[in-house]
Amino acid sequence: MTGGPAKDRRIGVFLCHCGGNISDYVDMEKLREAVKEELGVVEARTTMFACSDAAQQEMIDAIQKERLDGIAVASCSPKLHLFTFRAMAERAGMNPYQYVQANIREQCSWAHRGEVDKATEKAADIVRAAIAKAGLSEPLRPMRVETKPQVLVVGAGVAGLRAALALSDLGLTVYVAEREERIGGWTARLGAMFPAERRGTEMVQELERRILERENVTLFTRAEVVEKSGSVGDFSVRLRVRETESIALNVGAIVVTTGFDAYAPSDGEFGFGQDGVVTLPEFKRMLDEGEGPLARNGKPVRTATYIYCVGSRQNEEAESPNRFCSRYCCTATCHAALVASRRDKNVRQYHLFRDMRTYGKYELVYEAAARKGSVFVRWDPADPPAVSRVDGHLVVRVKDRLLGGEALEIPSDLVVLVTGMVPRENASLVNALKLPVGGDGFFNEIHPKLRPVETVVDGVFIAGAAQGPKTLAESVASSLAAVSKSAALLLKGYVDLEPFVAEVDPLRCTWCEKCTEACPYGAIEKVAADGREVARVIPSLCKGGGACVPVCPEEAIDLLGYSDREIKGMIDALAKEAVHA
Amino acid sequence: MAVNVDPDLQREIARFGGHDVSLCMNCGLCTAICPLSEESGSSFPRRVIHLLQVGGADKLAQTVDPWLCYYCGECSESCPRDANPGETMMAARRYLTARYDWTGLAGLFYKSAAAEITGLAFVGLLVAALFVFFHAPVVTDHVELNTFAPVHWVELGDLVMAALLTFFLLTNAARMAWGFMGGAEMLRISPFVYLKQIPVFLVHFFTQRRWRRCGSERSTTHWLTHVILVSGYLSMLTLVLVLLRWFQTDEVHSFYHPQRLWGYYATAALLYGTVTFMISRWREADPMHRFSEASDWIFLVMLFLTALTGIIMHALRIADLPMATYVSYVIHLAIAVPMLVVEVPFGKWAHLFYRPLALYLTSVREAAALAARQPAAAAA
Repeated sequence: MTGGPAKDRRIGVFLCHCGGNISDYVDMEKLREAVKEELGVVEARTTMFACSDAAQQEMIDAIQKERLDGIAVASCSPKLHLFTFRAMAERAGMNPYQYVQANIREQCSWAHRGEVDKATEKAADIVRAAIAKAGLSEPLRPMRVETKPQVLVVGAGVAGLRAALALSDLGLTVYVAEREERIGGWTARLGAMFPAERRGTEMVQELERRILERENVTLFTRAEVVEKSGSVGDFSVRLRVRETESIALNVGAIVVTTGFDAYAPSDGEFGFGQDGVVTLPEFKRMLDEGEGPLARNGKPVRTATYIYCVGSRQNEEAESPNRFCSRYCCTATCHAALVASRRDKNVRQYHLFRDMRTYGKYELVYEAAARKGSVFVRWDPADPPAVSRVDGHLVVRVKDRLLGGEALEIPSDLVVLVTGMVPRENASLVNALKLPVGGDGFFNEIHPKLRPVETVVDGVFIAGAAQGPKTLAESVASSLAAVSKSAALLLKGYVDLEPFVAEVDPLRCTWCEKCTEACPYGAIEKVAADGREVARVIPSLCKGGGACVPVCPEEAIDLLGYSDREIKGMIDALAKEAVHA
Repeated sequence: MAVNVDPDLQREIARFGGHDVSLCMNCGLCTAICPLSEESGSSFPRRVIHLLQVGGADKLAQTVDPWLCYYCGECSESCPRDANPGETMMAARRYLTARYDWTGLAGLFYKSAAAEITGLAFVGLLVAALFVFFHAPVVTDHVELNTFAPVHWVELGDLVMAALLTFFLLTNAARMAWGFMGGAEMLRISPFVYLKQIPVFLVHFFTQRRWRRCGSERSTTHWLTHVILVSGYLSMLTLVLVLLRWFQTDEVHSFYHPQRLWGYYATAALLYGTVTFMISRWREADPMHRFSEASDWIFLVMLFLTALTGIIMHALRIADLPMATYVSYVIHLAIAVPMLVVEVPFGKWAHLFYRPLALYLTSVREAAALAARQPAAAAA
């Protein structure tokens, strides 16, 4: 170990002007003077742009020439360049984890414009703390885990089936677990779909045929995940199949594509329960069955009225309102209206909507529906439409925002409640996989734009409508994203995990279990050491969150890379000036 | 009061030339850009188009918004959907004209060019037949029009026709007023209010001055042409209805005699106005004249032919060609009479009456509302 006392260390400090972003408000020469005599510092210099190739090469030369074993770069936020400089340190032959970034831009120069003296003082404190950390740093190694080239796909809707095919194309062995007897999910029951008029039934048949041809894909129906252990790259999963069999699988990654459920209106909600009031899925089934003008119970449907946003964008004080927009239903309804007008060009259709969300090229579907005579009426959520029965006929009353709130009364043969998507009931799966569930009940990704299919559980990916309402195309796009992510993980053969994990000192540990309660990842297990029960951190599960460290009454836990010693050293360095004053 | 919807209104309005109602997505750009909409306190064209979309036929009959639009065309030019709001307003005016007309003839004529032409031909032939079978002695050595068609008889025919037309027009106008003023509500307003606002009607009837608020050069040009056309038209109407005895004389006055000068002015104004508008409709360059229904053409052509045959007859009379004069006189009347009979109460002419009436009724309503507020304010 090259840790050792700081006085024996050889530390380099690089102070970045960032073009002027920093040097306009921090006196760089004063800063260099203030930190160059710090304990262990053998090299302190300024640079115009530390992140430039030339500056990086200069730092590499300095590291090698001065045989540096710790460096601090004072520049921007580590969010921007932590990995840049860590890689630079590695290229120079240093242990990359003995590099420390001091943020004197976002946290200093940008925040204290026009106060050069004070900003310079603060920058010196920040850099001193970074030097102290570098001086106390230990060389760390990433953990390498061998990965299993096998993937479990949970849910055999179109998203899951497409994921399975794509994974199989990449040479990975795939297991697909479907809870239902039949595969294909909602799509298997659909007729013509937007935007290409492809029939859902045919699409699923085609996928099923292709799946069955694959030798490296195994499909389990009526199968549920009951248990998962292990970590990214090497999970052990147990399936219960057909309520009797138990199957153990060893997979490197898990893709969850469990889909959605259709919102079920409660009795009386927009007239639901009355004869002639149906949900969107029911209406689509009506459209798919039979030919010619629509009829219901033998009676012709001459006027159909659609009430949008049923079960979506709820903002009433209901127990758990669905606040989200279901995204797909506007387009699906406009498309259904087109299908209806194909069957009967004289059918009259009233669309009572809140906001029309036929985004992107689906605008064309909306326009086509309007051209075929669909009428669109916008209502106010504070005053929703009401469905009643007058002399045995359904009448929808809606206040029209474009007529200054005057009410229209629309006699209707059929009222279609445009019901959206809701999360599926998945409690046992959530429990088994430790899946993160958002406030809306759908599974949560790490970041909707930057990391859209990854979860906080490494190696477990989510895709399709399981993570929120999506159109079929969007659902498949996200499932292919999950395929890319899992294949990138598994085809390499191993994963390197960050070394910032917690460590338990077995001599101090008394197994009070406070740390296991604090850990959200289930990364702490009980082991026997010298005949005592003590805690041990499973490195591959530990995220370095640090929740266990402060709760330990015995101070038996340390977080590598952020040890108590390092943090205290930084605090001392920050307080140094204050003490002198 | 809820609006009962008529889902077939969209199809109905298409038959009056409103073919693009379904293209509208209610964005409201037309209303935002309309120079007249805001000052009317309404939000046409969007509101009118939306009423047409949802099928608010009864509601539409209760608004005069379409009559407040002068079709400057800015809405159609700026519509992102090419839904032609201006033309939709035009179609709404045709639809309303038909809707006010209790005889059903207006609707018939607007929806079918054949029916309109048949109607015109029928009245024209009737007029011709009257002359063929009941004409007075034909003097052939020189022109004696008042012997062939004694002016008091012609005048009598004129007055009968005028009475009929007035009856139809006024009953239709009453239906418009009844709907707009809220039915029996209109009877609660003091007759003095109605009387006091009459100047509003007269000003707008004779000047169409609201049109100028459209603001564009192009609109002002159209307005001017239209004023000239109307002045020619009203001159003609005055000469043949009120001053026929002074106008239809066998004596040929000197060129500078007011009888001739006024007659020439009427002819020139009619020819200039109709030819200008026909050329504009033919070229389809101006948004106002891009779309022409048969009814638009028929009205212009009939007006044009009325003036043309009138001046031809006048020339023949001056040339002292008796038979040719008598024949052209009959043709002239066989065109002018049906033009008036069909167009005044049942066709495009009616807009001359309904537009100022709409402004008049709006003023009456505002004045009545003001009057209702003031005593309350005084009491408080």
